Amino acid sequence: MSSSAVDAEAPDLVCQLDNVQGMVDALSSVRWKRNQDAVIELSEHGIVFIVEETGCLQAKVYLQRELFTQYEFRAHGRPRFGVSLGLFVDCLNSFSVPGHSSFIEIRYPGPDMKLLLKSVDSLDSCIYAEVRTRIPDSISWDYNFEPAGSTPLTFTVKSAALKEAVDDLEWPGSNIQIKLQPAPPAVTFRGEGHGDLQIDLMYYVNTDLLVAFHCDRQVSYRYKYKFLRATTSNIPNSVIKDNRGSKLSIGRGGMLKVQHLVSVARSSTPHPHIDSAGYQQSSRIAYIEFFVKPEEDEDAVND
Amino acid sequence: MKFKAFLTENGVILLEKRFLPALDKMGKICHLFLTREHAFFLHNLLSGDGVQSIAQFHKEALFDDYRISSQNEDRIAFAIDISLLNRAVRSSVSICSELGGGGSTANRLQIKLVKKLPPNSTLPTPFLTFETKGYKSAVIQDVPISKPLSRTQVLELQTALDMAQDLPQTLVQVPDLNQLQNFVDRMKHVGDLLNVSISKYGDLHVQTSTTLITLGAEFRKLLVIGEQAFAPPEDQTFSAQTRSERAILRGDAQSVQVNVKHFSKSLQCHLAKPDCAFYGIAPQGACLTVIFQFFIPGTRQTDKSISLHCRLPVLDPS
Repeated sequence: MSSSAVDAEAPDLVCQLDNVQGMVDALSSVRWKRNQDAVIELSEHGIVFIVEETGCLQAKVYLQRELFTQYEFRAHGRPRFGVSLGLFVDCLNSFSVPGHSSFIEIRYPGPDMKLLLKSVDSLDSCIYAEVRTRIPDSISWDYNFEPAGSTPLTFTVKSAALKEAVDDLEWPGSNIQIKLQPAPPAVTFRGEGHGDLQIDLMYYVNTDLLVAFHCDRQVSYRYKYKFLRATTSNIPNSVIKDNRGSKLSIGRGGMLKVQHLVSVARSSTPHPHIDSAGYQQSSRIAYIEFFVKPEEDEDAVND
Repeated sequence: MKFKAFLTENGVILLEKRFLPALDKMGKICHLFLTREHAFFLHNLLSGDGVQSIAQFHKEALFDDYRISSQNEDRIAFAIDISLLNRAVRSSVSICSELGGGGSTANRLQIKLVKKLPPNSTLPTPFLTFETKGYKSAVIQDVPISKPLSRTQVLELQTALDMAQDLPQTLVQVPDLNQLQNFVDRMKHVGDLLNVSISKYGDLHVQTSTTLITLGAEFRKLLVIGEQAFAPPEDQTFSAQTRSERAILRGDAQSVQVNVKHFSKSLQCHLAKPDCAFYGIAPQGACLTVIFQFFIPGTRQTDKSISLHCRLPVLDPS
């Protein structure tokens, strides 16, 4: 069942994945609106999806090559191309069969620079897709995240708690202030809009919730609620179920980085093709990163 | 015009648990067409667009003591709301079981055609009445129905029904209805039109294509009923799309375009718990037909007293 047309020239990438649902989960977590374009970057290390909004919010999904059961990268440099994220996720979703681990092959480029997907589970049935790609827009804004000082300003919070806090802040809406202070060590989310709402996460009071905390001076920045919400609105259920934490860091100029970990381990039903490979299930994690720019008019003590 | 019958226990189970939930997905309103020997539930036979579905029961499959008379060769047809019908059947069942059930003849479920004066109205209105006689009480439920169809309309319905009986030359058996349903439901997010091709080799190929994406699935080596052929071995090496294009060129396959929502609807018929399902394309690509087969419980023999098939309108006859 090989596609003859692309055999003439070796494609940049041929890879196989045994857990489509994990990839759908990871990509769904950066879908915060209906029509989004994503830039896909291929390299020998894996595949990165980059999604952006109006120069204020960027999200990246890292699918490292270790997540794939087979990963053959042959290109020079790092090929980049654009796809419609929503369409790609919907298409990928078609390959996922509930209660069944679906095995797919991804190939780029196919004829006409298309991205090709096909199921490789069975000889007698096959699902396939050809996704049109486009030349990507240049990245409008440099999201290089740099630490704000000598020590990083970070905290790790249970993803479920973070999502709940951000959901609750919908009520005041507008801008949300995030404040980190070293003594007593605490993180404060505060929204002022239609009324005020303040959520304090006290380190040491509840280490189950706030798992880690590093801060040597007080900082405070404001972020647009809708951007903050985009970082948590589509956290996959598997993240909550696995009781994972999300790491938040504040960098130079108040840039907020939010990191989630999404499991791409295959479901418990073993697949005959890869049993011998002995993959470490625990290491099969996709990294999701969001970068949120702060609002300009911050008034608190900053670096 | 008279109709009166008792729904058998088996008939109640068939309708309540299987057919009415499936038919409800095909559309809210259907025609109930009763003849001397058969009862038909018909969707979209007179309207011309939408999925046509034809469920046929021999009177013994549903009823006993079946009495029908009309001046039109004992044929009666009317439109009825499936969900109301299902509610009436369901609550009659619960009354029956509350009252002790046990299959005694006392609490059988009788249905009959009546004309009644509804409250606040002076115009007698037709109803299909469900009467459950219990130990000490009787519960009557009236399901509103349309005015019975006129002689001409019944003739029209009968003609449409006769025309809907033509069989495709080649039928392929769907491997796993649930899985196909699942796939097509997800496909609905990607495109609106579905190309379906069916070959004499036993291949079923469904594909949706837009300017941005092509998404398809191919199922091969399916059981074929009717005209069949052997797949040329060289076809093995091609992609699904090339393979079906070549089969069409060779005249060994046919392809039609249908609405993906219609296709998904036709798959909803699995709620009727058929034992297997076959897809085929009618001669000249007139429609896509899906035929559901029911076995006599505990056997692999077709139960000829029950039949269900759907016809999906073809969007581009070329």
